[in-house]
Formats: sequence, C-alpha cells, structure tokens
Amino acid sequence: MKVLAHSYVCPKGVKLNGEPVFDTQAEENPLKSAYQQLGVEYPKFYKMDVLSKMAFIGTELLLPFFPAGTDLENDLSLIFANTSSSQHTDNLFVDSYEKLNNPSPSLFVYTLPNIVTGELCIRHKWYGENCFFIEEQFNPKNYAAWAQSGFSKGNALCLCGWVEAKTNGEQECFLFLLSPSDKTEHTIEIELSTLIKQYRNE
Amino acid sequence: MSDLKENLKAQIIEQLNLEDLTPADIQDDAPLFGDQGLGLDSIDALEFIVLLDSNYGIKITDPSQGKEIFQSVNTLADFISKNQ
Amino acid sequence: MNKSVYIHYLSLVTPLGNTVEQHLEAFKTGTSGIRMTEHAGFQGTRLPLAKRTEITANRYDNLLREALENVHITLTGKTAVIVSSTKGNLDLLPGDTFSSTHAIINQFFPEAPVVIISNACISGVIAINTAADYLLSDTYDQVLVIGIDAVSEFVSYGFQSLFALSGEACKPFDKNRNGTTLGEGCGIVLVSNQKLHDHAVVYKGGSSSNDANHISGPSRTGEGLVRSIEKTFKRSGLNASDIDFISAHGTATVFNDEMESIAFGRTQLNEVPLNSMKGYFGHTLGAAGILETIMSIVSMEENLLFPNIGFSETGTSVPLNIIQKLESKELKTVLKTASGFGGGNASLILQKEG
Repeated sequence: MKVLAHSYVCPKGVKLNGEPVFDTQAEENPLKSAYQQLGVEYPKFYKMDVLSKMAFIGTELLLPFFPAGTDLENDLSLIFANTSSSQHTDNLFVDSYEKLNNPSPSLFVYTLPNIVTGELCIRHKWYGENCFFIEEQFNPKNYAAWAQSGFSKGNALCLCGWVEAKTNGEQECFLFLLSPSDKTEHTIEIELSTLIKQYRNE
Repeated sequence: MSDLKENLKAQIIEQLNLEDLTPADIQDDAPLFGDQGLGLDSIDALEFIVLLDSNYGIKITDPSQGKEIFQSVNTLADFISKNQ
Repeated sequence: MNKSVYIHYLSLVTPLGNTVEQHLEAFKTGTSGIRMTEHAGFQGTRLPLAKRTEITANRYDNLLREALENVHITLTGKTAVIVSSTKGNLDLLPGDTFSSTHAIINQFFPEAPVVIISNACISGVIAINTAADYLLSDTYDQVLVIGIDAVSEFVSYGFQSLFALSGEACKPFDKNRNGTTLGEGCGIVLVSNQKLHDHAVVYKGGSSSNDANHISGPSRTGEGLVRSIEKTFKRSGLNASDIDFISAHGTATVFNDEMESIAFGRTQLNEVPLNSMKGYFGHTLGAAGILETIMSIVSMEENLLFPNIGFSETGTSVPLNIIQKLESKELKTVLKTASGFGGGNASLILQKEG
C-alpha cells in the first residue's frame, strides 16, 4: 500500500502534498474563498454543510493524482471518519426547531456524516464502496486495515478522509489517496501519523 | 406586488443558499425547478414550505400542492398575496 | 472465500420484547411493535412509533445496556466490537453523540476494541460486511456487531420536515403506502470463524455501492442497489436463482419502495419471496440491518417466511413476490439489502451450511 497524494483543508488555508495552495487566514468565509479560488463551477457547493465543503475542496485538488486507467466509477472505495459525527449541522438543526420553530429539511439531510461521501460520489459519478466510521481520534492503523480489506476484495484505489467540524469551531479535513503496493501497512501508518502532525502544527 | 417579488428573490437566495446568485439573476417567470431554471430539487421544495411559514405565516400541509405554487417567482407571489 | 464466516444471533431488544422467542412469536402472529403515540411529533402532533415503553429516559444508553445484558457467551480469542448507529445518543448534543458508546461496551467487554460505523440506514449491513473482512484478514477471530438507534424528537422532527412519515403504521410496498414509521431497537450478532450454535449461518459475501445521484432521494433506476447486489453475487459465487428469500429494506416511502422494485426487477429477483420488516419494528435506522439479519436467521432456522405487515395490494411498477401470510419453506440462501440517505446501498448473502 502507498500514499499517492494528500491534502489538508482548515480555516487557515488549504494545502496539497504539504505545500500551501490557498491562504484563507484573513478571509471572513475561508471555505467560500477556497472554493472560489479553485475556479470550479459547482453551485451545489453553497448548499453543502461544512464537512462536505471541506471534503469537496480537498478532493478537487487530489484529482490529478488519481492514476490513469483506474476504473474510478467502480473500483474506488471511500473510507472516511471523524469523532463528532455531524455535530456542527446537528446543532444547527436543533436550533431550527427550538429557536426558529421550523425544523429545516435542508439542514436535516446533512445530519448524517456519510452525506460527505455521498456528495463526493454525486460530484464525480463514483458508484463504489463507502464507509463512514466514528473514531475517538485519527487512527492510521485502522485506515490501513480497512483499505487493505478493500484491496483484497478487488477495489483498486481508496480515498480516505478525516473530516471534522465541531460546534466549537474546530475544523479540519485531511484526505489521502491509497493504492496497493508492496509497502507494508505499518510503513503507511507511520507516514500518515507524521503527515497529520505536520499539517496540524504548521 | 413587485416589492413582494423582490423580497421573495432575496429570501429564496438566503433560504436555499444560492450564494452564486443575486436577485437580478432570477426572472419573475423563469422556472425554479428542473434543468432549464434554477435547477432546484425536492429538498428545496420542502425548504420553500418552511420559507412560506416563517416569512408569511402560510402553512402548507401537503407537499404535492407545492408543484403548482413553486413554479416561478410569479406563481409564488400570486399564491402569497391570495393567502396572506 | 476459503475461510468460513459464521453469523449467530445473540440479543435483540425492541418494542416486541427482549428475547428471540418473543420476536418469533410476534412474527408468527403478525404482531406489530408500532403504536400511535401522543405528543411525539413537532408541535405535539401524534405519530405512530415503535418505541420500547419500558424505557423512560436515556433511551440510547439504556437500550444498549439492556441488549448487552442479554448476551450470555464466553468469548475466547481476539475479539472486537463494531457498533452500527446513525445518531448515537442525541441527549449528548451539543457534544459528541457517540461518546457514551465506548464506555458502556467496555463495561461488558473491557478488552475489546470498539469500532463505530455511522453510514445512515445501511450501517447495519456494512457493519456485518466489515466484521467479515476482519475475520478474513485474520485481524480478529470474532466480532460482536451491535446495531442500535433510539427514537428521538430530533429524528422525528427531521423526518416530518421531509414529509417522510406515515400518519398510520407504515405499509411497505403497498399501493397506499405514504411514508415510513420510526422505531427503536438494539440487536447484536456474533460474527465468528467458528460455528458456536446450530442456528449459525454462513456469511457468503457482501458489498456496498453508492447511487451517485442525490443525497436524500433514492435513485429512480435503482442503480446503486443493482450494483451492490451484482457485486455481492460475484463475491459469493451465487446468482439470483440461488436466492430463497429476500429481507428487503422497504421503508414504505413512495420513492424508496418503487426504487427497490426496479432494482429487484433488474436483478431477476422480482419473483423471490420478499418482505420488509418495517411493519414490525418501524424503521430503526442504524439497528435495522442487524435486527432484520437476526430475524432472517430465525426465518432460516424455522424454515418460515414471515408476512410483510401492512401490505395488501401491489403498489410498485415492478410487481414483487411480497410474503402475505406465514408460510413454511425450506430456506437455504437469503439475501439482505439496505438503502439509505447519502445514496448508500448495501447487501449480503447468508447460507445454511451443507
């Protein structure tokens, strides 16, 4: 297994393979600014929740690194995780019925974490396997094991994501693209731990 | 009536998060749903029901009614002025 | 698959009871757990719900504890626990809704790592598929898979805002269906590399697939469900003619059941006896896949086809073979499917050994 590429989206800015792509630190709405700088035409972006917006931006940047010749429609699996599920939208939805007295259907549909992977599948016409896990913290060992199981069942590529949006304002999205190779799962675990530490500390 | 329509356009943009649009982009008689118009979907239609209730105090209990009412800004304004 | 993966039922807690015997009796007699409930909906409206009335507070944690207390098994070897739930404990909002889950499970299984899957209504089926993967990769010898969700204002109001709830007990696949009914429950299965009980069935394969179409509306063509069923056939080395019974998703919304009928038509499964168990349990979201798998294993053990409560007249464009009365039939191979928000679809196949 090897890491083909990785990206990181947080309110401070957007990075690709460790290098800064967009600096959004001074922006009032960092994600909107990053989307506009991407130059992609996808008005549905504005309707998405924070989790989906971050994953959308991070994924667009990774697209050039998807290996040519892979049947992305069928053989790409998506493995995502976080700690707080859809907490940010959950609380907005509670406000819609407790404070505004009108439960909002467009918020309710985002009160599931796996809507993130659903949005990516719609955007890119990916029909492969998806799974969203809730973890106490970012756990590279689990990603490596889940991706490996997918490869042994015939998936050719795995887009993994750690995507978090808490009500206290903490937001981050770390995406990485895995493909089968002779590197051991253990090597990948160390690489991923190092990468997320670097992104978080910069 | 024209004030109502202008207000509606701003409310639609806000309620449905159509941040790439301005009220001037929405024609009074343009279809709101389907590929030709704003391309709104079934969730947007339900959000219109919330909009009518919270901004105009009009309750719709059967979403199938929405099909006629939510055709365009014109039909929406017409419905609001008759039911308020 | 060279190694065998066995699935055993261990525990289930729903409005119908907290033992397999109670559930078998309810299913034999066509008894529903759904009751009209006052002040359950937004602004105090009445809603039909399948709610466990014995629980009066802290519903999620208490459901989980009750189901775990009913597990009487000594586990040896490497063990993990997978939890399938869409919302966890919503009483914990604005904080982390899954933070109580680990602690409760560790009271019962102190050593076992806990993995949580939250993938909308297909969580349960994916959780079993993931457990099988763990066994096949020798990561664990056995995995307890727990499916759970509790009834809440949050989810009820949300489904109401989508106009997705029926005014009376839901009617899966029926012509007059007009929405689902929410329910709650907790079910536990043991996925093991050893056969520990006579009732155990063999897991033959499973998969998931996304519709890539809409985040809340089911695909009009059944695309994701078709792809998942076909992939599961391929992985298990079986085909439509092998299937004796389908435990379908059948939420009783107009669009979902129509989508499933198209998908079963496209996969030549439209004549296979089929039921949705939503008429018994309501839609229990993250618990659904596990509760329905448990009752599918009971079906196989008893060689009984359980009726699809709420169905009286064909109401899908592709007519399906909906089970209308309790019937004896030798059941060897069973297909379980699920579909949900986020465009997810999942399936798995169970088979009796030998």
